[in-house]
Amino acid sequence: MAAKKLRRARLSQELCERLSRHQITTCQDFLCLSFLELMKVTGQSYYNVQKLLCEVSRACAPKMQTAYELKLRKSVNPSSAFLSTTLHSLDKVLHGGVPCGSLTEITSPPGCGKTQFCIMVSVLATLPVSMGGLDGAVIYIDTESAFSAERLIEIAAHRFPAYFDSDEKLFCMTRNIHLYRELTCGSVLKRIMSLEEEIISKKVKLIIIDSIASVVRKEFDTKLQGNLAERSNFLARGASVLKYLAEEFSIPV
Amino acid sequence: MQRDLGGLPLAPALRARLVAAGFQTAQELLDTGPCGLSKEIGISKEEALEVLQVVRQECHGDAARTAGGLGATRKCTALELLEEEQAQGFIITFCSALDNILGGGVQLTKITEICGAPGVGKTQLCMQLAVDVQIPECFGGVAGEAVFIDTEGSFMVDRVVDIATACVQHCQLIAEAHQEEDHLKALETFCLENILSHIYYFRCRDYIELLAQVYLLPDFLAEHSKVRLVVVDGIAFPFRHDFEDLSLRTRLLNGLAQQLIIIANDHKSAVVLTNQMTTRIGQSQSTLVPALGESWGHAATVRLILHWDNSQRLATLYKSPSQKESTIPYHITSHGFRDVQPPAVTQTAEDTEMNPRKRPRREEEK
Repeated sequence: MAAKKLRRARLSQELCERLSRHQITTCQDFLCLSFLELMKVTGQSYYNVQKLLCEVSRACAPKMQTAYELKLRKSVNPSSAFLSTTLHSLDKVLHGGVPCGSLTEITSPPGCGKTQFCIMVSVLATLPVSMGGLDGAVIYIDTESAFSAERLIEIAAHRFPAYFDSDEKLFCMTRNIHLYRELTCGSVLKRIMSLEEEIISKKVKLIIIDSIASVVRKEFDTKLQGNLAERSNFLARGASVLKYLAEEFSIPV
Repeated sequence: MQRDLGGLPLAPALRARLVAAGFQTAQELLDTGPCGLSKEIGISKEEALEVLQVVRQECHGDAARTAGGLGATRKCTALELLEEEQAQGFIITFCSALDNILGGGVQLTKITEICGAPGVGKTQLCMQLAVDVQIPECFGGVAGEAVFIDTEGSFMVDRVVDIATACVQHCQLIAEAHQEEDHLKALETFCLENILSHIYYFRCRDYIELLAQVYLLPDFLAEHSKVRLVVVDGIAFPFRHDFEDLSLRTRLLNGLAQQLIIIANDHKSAVVLTNQMTTRIGQSQSTLVPALGESWGHAATVRLILHWDNSQRLATLYKSPSQKESTIPYHITSHGFRDVQPPAVTQTAEDTEMNPRKRPRREEEK
């Protein structure tokens, strides 16, 4: 939205050309300038600049929704609001399960079962909606190389023996789980950025990143100066992209 | 009439030409007339007419101001201000201790900033206020609407439904106890659907969208004149990462603060911002301070810091022009923001049940 070209913001052609001479081509550049600078650059009077500012803002401002509309949208599709974890007490505490459309973080000391939980949730996501799943693909970004496909099949077969009665079904399920092994922060970030198209093409309904802390701790030593800022930058950028994906596609992350 | 050319809102190129032609005051411009002006500085007659209209408008505004009429400069005595402030309503938070230290609740026409570590309850308080601002006047509220600008994506509609239901129940209890006519009439309109439809939600993904939205807010508020609360949840989030140019950040933040102050005053609404905490590394220890730096601290009139003390949530009034600094404990229950129940009273299941979305900080007391 911010990188929207001024041309598409419905400003006049000559104004756009004049602004591009000063290297102002996107809404972001326009809105970052102060009033006096804008007056100088556009050569317009105060009131005109105010009107221009409103127009450009309208081009990038978000749409308004009332809380009621949000609720209606959610209640229209109640089953898609949460992914049930099939652990009843956990679901009760989480108000229904892992929420779709927002980020959920699972932390614990090593060995408690985070990766096992992730594997189980991947199986659940591939189940059809009638069984409480999301009937979709799963993207699993693994940074610790802890994902074991054998364990996946073991969980599926033991947990839902009635459903996975044939090898066919198991293969189908495993085909729906896309595993990406990333070992550096940079590649994790690149992978997250490229997810948008994959989500649409593969009909992904769940994104799992296991785990974000291991890559970050490996690469950024907080004792060194400047690393802290870089690390927070990386995390914040990753987090905002993931939030955007979660909200846009209404999937749990 | 002797107004200098430099103070008129003309385009800079035009102004440069007028100065080069020797004009110095607005009166000279008006005396020349459009045709003379267009010949002297080489612009078309229409442009010259426009310039004269602008000049005339400005001078007229000046004259009106000096004559003591209602101009853009708001002049009033302190007595009028006192009467205004006393008649003003507050937005209650349903936690009476918090309302007490704030002097009655969140004040209208002022900017209140809520800072705190993640998970302490800032968004909960904002959602509570968005519901509380709609309480009808006969119950002690301001009967207004709310604008919720969300930059972090932590607005959960289901939670607002819980809070709103609890609020409506509370009002119903009061109405039953008092049995007054206007109470019952107000209750008819104070229902869940109405509450939710009067919360206007904007989701801003980065700082440009936030800036654009704040520029457009005055027009939006002019259309929806009943808005009494503007919440910006997470003013720090879009500015904290990805910003290499710190001076640009300070400039944008100050501009934002100015805009919000103007909005708060013009529309008589309260502005509530939430801020994150950052660690300041001192000589021997590190302390948590509000993020965005010292200069941002001047933007808010009232500052509230929420923090933990072992397992108890506390709220501290950090900066306020009229109340003294104090700290109170509070609770977040399934109904929203509440006081801490005194330990003598047997706690019911509802009071000890924390908001299911929060990570549990202490053992359940059951």
